[in-house]
Amino acid sequence: MSDAEFVRAYEIAGADFTNAGRASTDIKETLKNMGLSSALIRRVAIAAYEAEMNTVMYARRGTMTLHVTPNDVTIDVRDEGPGIADIALAMQEGYSTATPEMRELGFGAGMGLPNIRRNTDEMVITSEVNRGTALVMTVHVS
Amino acid sequence: MSGTSKAGATPRAGAVTLADVREAVNGVALWCPDDSLAVTGVVAADLMSDVLVDARSGYALVTGLVNVQVIRTAAIADLAAVVFARGKAVPADIVDLARQMHVPVFASRDSLFEAAGRLYAVFAGGPVEPGARRQV
Repeated sequence: MSDAEFVRAYEIAGADFTNAGRASTDIKETLKNMGLSSALIRRVAIAAYEAEMNTVMYARRGTMTLHVTPNDVTIDVRDEGPGIADIALAMQEGYSTATPEMRELGFGAGMGLPNIRRNTDEMVITSEVNRGTALVMTVHVS
Repeated sequence: MSGTSKAGATPRAGAVTLADVREAVNGVALWCPDDSLAVTGVVAADLMSDVLVDARSGYALVTGLVNVQVIRTAAIADLAAVVFARGKAVPADIVDLARQMHVPVFASRDSLFEAAGRLYAVFAGGPVEPGARRQV
């Protein structure tokens, strides 16, 4: 890790809907304090929040790690959970495996992963069924 | 249900403010330290997933959903305010979170449809006639 890199990691507990969104909120504040543009911060915050909600809704637990360099903001989310059997299907707008309880909270419309793609410059998702999912998303600073 | 209304279709004189939004929906401010702040548009939805797609920075969110994720969504997406419609009770912990996250919140007895319609009229430059309001 170079001196120019900032790293902060967050633990995310599955099914903890009370605290869901706290990590993303802290990421947003952290980027604001770094003086990055509000448009860039908003894109990162929305992508992080979508990923955090996915972890809370579907996984047993996960970690979300923020990396900031002069060129990029990267968020790496790794969870232990059911995994995604068909990533191409999960990327389709409107496709969802959400339960009615998740929808009552206002989530699970099948827009999470597509919206992450929309708000990031790079997005890499890998998953293993019954093990978990890894999502790395990057927004370029310049 | 989800829909957005952007400012500018028929430009109205002067920026729309939080005070205009509150007045249009006959709302009560649950937390709003400065109602002169500008609102750039409106998104009406009960699904926060849709809000995160449709809303732009500075929009007001009108929703029938009442939970902490509404406030977190508004803060993440840089929204100007949340209007809780349908006369639903808004618990104190939600107002406290809104205060912590600096998200102005209002409560309205209008249905989501009525509140969205009245706000659409504000942004489209049409009159808002309190006398024509159906008392709920």
